[in-house]
Amino acid sequence: MGGVGSYTELVPTLALNSRSYRSSVFPMPLNRGRYILKGRTGYRKVFAMNNGNSVLRASDVTRRRLLGSLLTAYTASLIPWALAQPVDDRDQGAFLAVSAIIAGRQALDAQLAKRLYDALIVDDMSFSSMARELLSLIDARKIEPLNLQKVLDAEKSPLAGIPRAVARAWFLGIVGSGVKARCIAYENALNATIVSDVLKPPTYAYGVYGSWTGKPV
Amino acid sequence: MPDLTAADFVIIGSGIIGSTVARKLAQAGASVLILEAGPRVTRAEIVARFRNSPRRSDWMSPYPPAPWAPHPIYQPQSNNYLVQAGPYPYEAEYVRQVGGTTWHWAAQAWRNVPNDFRIKSLYNVGADWPFGYDDLEPYYQEAEELMGVSGAPNTGSPRKKPFPMEPVAEPFAMRRIRERLASAYEVVTNTTARNSRTYDGRPACCGNNSCQPICPIDAQYHGGLAAYAAEAAGAKLIPDANVYRLDHDEQGRISAGLYYDPDKISHRVTGKTFIVAANGIESPRLLLLSASDKFPRGLANSSDMVGRNLMDHPSTSLTFDADEDLWLGRGPQSPSSIGLMRDGSFRAEHAPYRLDFTNISRVDSATSALIDQGVYGDEFARRLRYSAARELNVKNVLEILPDPNHRITLSDQKDAMGIPKPQTHYSIDDYTRRGHERSQQDFRRIAALLGGSNLRFSKEGSYANNQHICGTLSMGNDPKSSVCDQWARAHDHENLYLASTGVLPTCGTCNSTENGLAVAIRTVRHILSENKVGDAPAVPRAG
Repeated sequence: MGGVGSYTELVPTLALNSRSYRSSVFPMPLNRGRYILKGRTGYRKVFAMNNGNSVLRASDVTRRRLLGSLLTAYTASLIPWALAQPVDDRDQGAFLAVSAIIAGRQALDAQLAKRLYDALIVDDMSFSSMARELLSLIDARKIEPLNLQKVLDAEKSPLAGIPRAVARAWFLGIVGSGVKARCIAYENALNATIVSDVLKPPTYAYGVYGSWTGKPV
Repeated sequence: MPDLTAADFVIIGSGIIGSTVARKLAQAGASVLILEAGPRVTRAEIVARFRNSPRRSDWMSPYPPAPWAPHPIYQPQSNNYLVQAGPYPYEAEYVRQVGGTTWHWAAQAWRNVPNDFRIKSLYNVGADWPFGYDDLEPYYQEAEELMGVSGAPNTGSPRKKPFPMEPVAEPFAMRRIRERLASAYEVVTNTTARNSRTYDGRPACCGNNSCQPICPIDAQYHGGLAAYAAEAAGAKLIPDANVYRLDHDEQGRISAGLYYDPDKISHRVTGKTFIVAANGIESPRLLLLSASDKFPRGLANSSDMVGRNLMDHPSTSLTFDADEDLWLGRGPQSPSSIGLMRDGSFRAEHAPYRLDFTNISRVDSATSALIDQGVYGDEFARRLRYSAARELNVKNVLEILPDPNHRITLSDQKDAMGIPKPQTHYSIDDYTRRGHERSQQDFRRIAALLGGSNLRFSKEGSYANNQHICGTLSMGNDPKSSVCDQWARAHDHENLYLASTGVLPTCGTCNSTENGLAVAIRTVRHILSENKVGDAPAVPRAG
């Protein structure tokens, strides 16, 4: 069979076609130059971070605040592992704290956090202030993560959409809904990393032929 | 409007069937022109679109329609291309691009069981085919060798030659299902156009688990490969050529095809023989669009059967949690099924069905369910791992009988090119509903044998569709009740053939592609035996 030059092209590329209509279905390529900030010391490493058109270096980060400095005792107690995350300001700090509460005991990727935050505030101008309100509410009433959505839904709180939006962002990598939905993360969305010891995200090879026949560890 | 080109054979549609017909005719020395409404798209583009999609479970999301050749889209909102006239929605999905809809199939390459060809005679329901299983058997084999089909011989369809390939290695979850159901059910490995070894230059499966919507490595066959093969054999393929009308001469022979390019400039091609291979919805649409003074009901439609007898496979399902960790998502997506209820005297009373086990990763669906429930914090990870490991799903694949009231017509609404949209009338009849009801006892028994808990039956009265569009160009011996003869030649037009799952008179309980492909290969055999082809190519052959 001729004319099939792509058989050996095992790793798909983001080849954009010239047809202009395709651009509307092609979001930005994901995760170029990703550096994960894990634990309390990782942030001092030199790293690159997308921030609009500029690139932040480690020297910039050290001038930023640490999340822990923005939190009260109760919320800090919920997310002790996240206290050393650097944040630009109070609004981003509130988002990161809510993120850590919803995501549970997961190291959060700082670059992804920034991209998710930027996407969320584009959709909803009031997102930042509502995230801060939500954080205050959690602190004032000492709400457990597992009760958070129930409490907000039961009280028909205007903040009820915030945890779901943050959960979708981190767990699925999706921000927005309906025609505005877009994918910010796929293979590093938390639902992929939580099972990554057993499963690969679809389109990623499980292994050599037949490697799926054995019992998963 | 210049007469741009001409060919021995003009084929409308470059899907797996049209392209395979084109390939075989070109190999026999004929000049062949394929007109494809949609664009060329590469596998790499489709994979990238999937990974970047905000709707990963919507398998149409990597296949956005071209404005000049729309196809139905339902998420995030319907584009209302396939107009729904009720009473039950028929939300068919298909892809208009070079290679067609099998870009996003699960490579299920099934043969009918022999009695599927004679349900009117045997069970007094539906219709008989104009030929039987034995007649089609060698063409099934040829289709399987072209596609590269792997399978085991215990699926109820006898064969004279072995499968081209051994069955694809069984995922651990399917092995456990097979072992634990063995006392009550034989669980068989599905026959699939999926490689269990290197075949025809393409690699063996490596378990990407994205068979739908796209295999990233071409370990499964699809229409894009068929289109490449047709071009390599010398067929000329014009993409972005949306055929909106066929013209005929005074004798009723098809004389020309007219198509719009993306700028809506009309082009005209001529040919000796025309083959409509534009799927079970676009093909009848084109025939109806081509109505003329001589054929006021549309081409090939003196019987009024064009577009009627629309069939597909409705499914209901059960999701439950097994009592052991199985972790769906390792290996290919749709590996195993139960064929026990595909045939039997019960077919006089209710629909037969196949029972199909999915091996699609549960991670995204479980995540969405947990977010809906507001499960956050540490508990999320624990619950996600539980669901990803334990959730199973079994669905039925129900036969639906031919009914002239189920049909494709032309809508009053027009698409972006100003062409009337297709419109569907559809319903689920009692025969199919009774099959669904009977299958519930299998669902419960399967769940019990797997220690199932948290049983979640699909919503009563709601049937998922399987995109196996059949019946709308139905073949038969009687020109009064069918569109084409047993060779898929239109009863009304000497030089018009139909190559599509639309010609299948009944839909049985298996995916329609291999049936449609085998019937089309049989058609080619007939065309070649009737015509001396290749002596005077009207179009210079490429390469």
